[in-house]
Amino acid sequence: MLTLSGAVLATNASKGDTKRQLFSLSTNPNLPSPIKSQKAFLVSSGNEVSDGFRHYIVFNVKPERLPNEAPYTIVGDEFRYFGDKDVVAIGNGRIRCLYRASSSHNSILLTEQCNNYCLMCSQPPKRVSDPWLLEEALELIRLIPRETQSLGITGGEPTLLGDGLIELLRLTRNWLPHTSVHLLSNGRAFADAQFAKKYAAVSHHDLMLGIPVYSCDPTRHDYVVQARGAFDETIRGILNLKQLNQRVEIRVVIHKQTYQGLLDLAEFIARNLLFVDHVALMGLETTGFTRANMDALWIDPAEYKGELGKTVRKLRNYGIRASVYNHPLCLVNSDAEQCYVKSISDWKNEYAPECTMCSRRNECGGFFLSGIQYGYSKHITPFP
Amino acid sequence: MAGSLVLELDSHIYRLEAVQKAAYRFIDRLTVLISERDGGPIVCEIEPIAGGTTLFDILLADFKRELLDQQLRSKIKAETEPVRNLILAYAFSRSGLQQ
Amino acid sequence: MSKFQRLDFYRSQTGRYHLLPFRFERVGDGEVVVTNSAGEFAYLTPGKLKALVSHTLPVTDPDYTLLRSRHFIREEDDAASLELLALKVRTRLSRLRDFTNLHLFVVTLRCDHSCHYCQVSRKTEDKAAFDMTPETASKALDFVFRSPNNAVKIEFQGGEPLLNFPLIRHIVLDAESRNLDFKKNLQFVISTTLSLATDTILEFCRDHNIHLSSSLDGPEDLHNKNRPRPGRDSHARFVEGLSRARDMVGYDSVSALMTTSPASIGRVRDIIDEYLRLGFGSIFLRHLSPYGFALKTKSFHEYNAETWLDFYREGMDYIIALNESGTRFVEHYSALVLTKMLTSNDPGFIDLMNPSGAGIAAIVFNYDGDVYASDESRMLHEMGDSSFRLGNIHKNTYEEVFTSDALLSTLEDSFTLSIPMCADCAFEPWCGADPVYHHARYGDILGRKPESEFCKRMMGTIKYLLNAMKDAQTREIFDRWVNKC
Ligand code: SF4
Ligand code: SF4
Repeated sequence: MLTLSGAVLATNASKGDTKRQLFSLSTNPNLPSPIKSQKAFLVSSGNEVSDGFRHYIVFNVKPERLPNEAPYTIVGDEFRYFGDKDVVAIGNGRIRCLYRASSSHNSILLTEQCNNYCLMCSQPPKRVSDPWLLEEALELIRLIPRETQSLGITGGEPTLLGDGLIELLRLTRNWLPHTSVHLLSNGRAFADAQFAKKYAAVSHHDLMLGIPVYSCDPTRHDYVVQARGAFDETIRGILNLKQLNQRVEIRVVIHKQTYQGLLDLAEFIARNLLFVDHVALMGLETTGFTRANMDALWIDPAEYKGELGKTVRKLRNYGIRASVYNHPLCLVNSDAEQCYVKSISDWKNEYAPECTMCSRRNECGGFFLSGIQYGYSKHITPFP
Repeated sequence: MAGSLVLELDSHIYRLEAVQKAAYRFIDRLTVLISERDGGPIVCEIEPIAGGTTLFDILLADFKRELLDQQLRSKIKAETEPVRNLILAYAFSRSGLQQ
Repeated sequence: MSKFQRLDFYRSQTGRYHLLPFRFERVGDGEVVVTNSAGEFAYLTPGKLKALVSHTLPVTDPDYTLLRSRHFIREEDDAASLELLALKVRTRLSRLRDFTNLHLFVVTLRCDHSCHYCQVSRKTEDKAAFDMTPETASKALDFVFRSPNNAVKIEFQGGEPLLNFPLIRHIVLDAESRNLDFKKNLQFVISTTLSLATDTILEFCRDHNIHLSSSLDGPEDLHNKNRPRPGRDSHARFVEGLSRARDMVGYDSVSALMTTSPASIGRVRDIIDEYLRLGFGSIFLRHLSPYGFALKTKSFHEYNAETWLDFYREGMDYIIALNESGTRFVEHYSALVLTKMLTSNDPGFIDLMNPSGAGIAAIVFNYDGDVYASDESRMLHEMGDSSFRLGNIHKNTYEEVFTSDALLSTLEDSFTLSIPMCADCAFEPWCGADPVYHHARYGDILGRKPESEFCKRMMGTIKYLLNAMKDAQTREIFDRWVNKC
């Protein structure tokens, strides 16, 4: 588990200058000076230090070899994972990692506000307005390495930013023309055909919109997302988007409130939304609101194995691309295995003590750390 | 075994169209002559078709059930007619997702 | 005290709902099937149906949820259901706009077989009288390339079309060279018994991607009985031709069609076994076509809808069992109906199209230049009934043919939505109008449905399928059939 943000130990920035700054990191002391002057140098044990960088990040104590007067920030060992081309934000005595070049699971948080209030939200929405997140994101896009393969955009609900989101997407298209972008949204905003048109007009080269649909019963979906009328808007949003040839993925989190309706939902999709590009069936993560709603949500994946298998078969029979995410491999029936994805983001996944003996551990996504901490299936069975 | 029967139906409950449709569905089993007097009941004179194998009583019970079904159908139809037209108009007007 | 609301909070507080258009049919004791215009369905008890229509179905009833998500009812604020419903209806009707795709060329009426139920073909050496001329073919191609459809299929029919193979070759080459400009998706099919398929012919088929649609009625004795030819060797010739065609043209380039003759009744398993033995992955349990072929011959009256249904049901039981035990095998007639039941697509099979596929899905050019709305219509013509003749390519323009009364009135009249009984029938979204059949059999296009064999067959088929798919495993098999995987 990686620490993505924390307090800095010390900095030589003048007291008044606590403004947040974004830095692209480098470990190469031999960069030409025009480039050095835009980057922060990561001083790790052993590497040479050259002057001319805009900033220096050092671990634990300020080393002797740091150029005089150079602006620096001292951080703890928990940030040793920082690497070349990562992007960090420093300010207000804190440091946050915004982008890791070595990871394929980078995502940008655009806002913490949301118009849904999902029972199992892993990023519980806040009421306060946070426009600085968008500003930061706009800056971040320009610092991300242009060879980046994929990037996520999440919230909160990113569409609450309206034109701000559109601006960000346009920037992503222009600055990262080789990057595929995955945007998570509840889709409600796209019920407004004008907004859907603006979104489509970005004409991004590789953009997938992940939209959750939890049930084909509007009441149940509205209950899970705790918002009346959400289902109706979400579905109309999907229709508007597909009418404009936008790529849409339907995301389903499986828990006690949704597993029984899974097959019906698959049939609903086959009958009504056959044109969606992908269906993601995901296990529950025990963070955020989920922990407050454990009784209403938690179900051992072993109990819905059958349901999941049937659902996957239904979707596949109708030619719909489907994937199973966030599940321990040993809790997935063989019929669902062909859609199994080892998915849990690299800084989150863990294995249970039972897993040490397992022969398929390297194919398995394992658990969220939170799962290990707050309880996981009683039916973990290592593959012999 | 064959017989015939006259059925009087309250025209406040049964719509003439529903009675006609029920009769049509039985065209291969029963001959049904329908008449309606102003304000009065709808009168059905029912006779089995010669050579039929099903007992007249059973046919009659089926026919009565069909009358109720047709009544239900006409209720559904009346209530959903506007939305049906709306859907058809919508279906023919919008540009489709699947060409 | 949670900041979260309970499920009930999200239910309609008024309990009010609107009905969406739907129809119902009793299918068994205490069971009613309801269908909407997109072909979706659900089962209800008669009591629930009554409650539903009288607006007293409680929001907490599981059927309420089911009916709402399958678009039989909607709450005041459910706007998406209307959009989805319209979209599904639209997708189903989109076939209408596809216009003519299938073009049948009757290149000769001559035939080397003399099947009992066939009244069309001629046993003669008189090529001049019954072969299509290159001049007629060329005019017909003019019509073909005026089709607004981007996909064009040309199917060669007979008689035995291979008796006039030189013309087939001529048409294929001519069409291909014209298509250099038109760039349509062009496909060719020859309907043949394969009895006359020489290596030269098969090589030509291979080089021009021509599909061979052949005929197999069952085991040798049955097939030969149905399809007499000099030497009584139709079956042997078929088997030999099939294997050569598979070698030379390709395994998937040869398919077989089956006709249920009176002699077939009671032998459905033998027939299916023969298809299995010869390596086919599917069969089409076709009832004997009542048109030109058989209507006025004895054969047709030798079995009725009930007899055919017994045949069909026995065959289907067997086929489902085959699939359950791991042998993939598809029955096409069911698959066509199931596609309407289980998907939002319309398969567009001409017999089961609504409005009638005549003149839209197929157009027939007879050897003499006459144009018909369907293969059945030209057979009707051979029997002396020209109601469905649209014109003649030597005398009429393209516009005249496609706006002829024969075509337009067929289309209008066949809209099942406007036919008595069909208009209220819950099976209508899965059924079809088949106007030519009703004209042939009953002298009017609509037919009196309660007496119609077509209707009986449809009802029987649909009830069988509804019942069969109550079994989850069978339902999964059907899911694969309709999605061709
Ligand atoms: S035992 Fe552990 S590693 Fe093996 S499949 Fe199960 S969860 Fe994965
Ligand atoms: S033909 Fe028969 S089964 Fe088909 S729609 Fe008409 S009444 Fe129904």
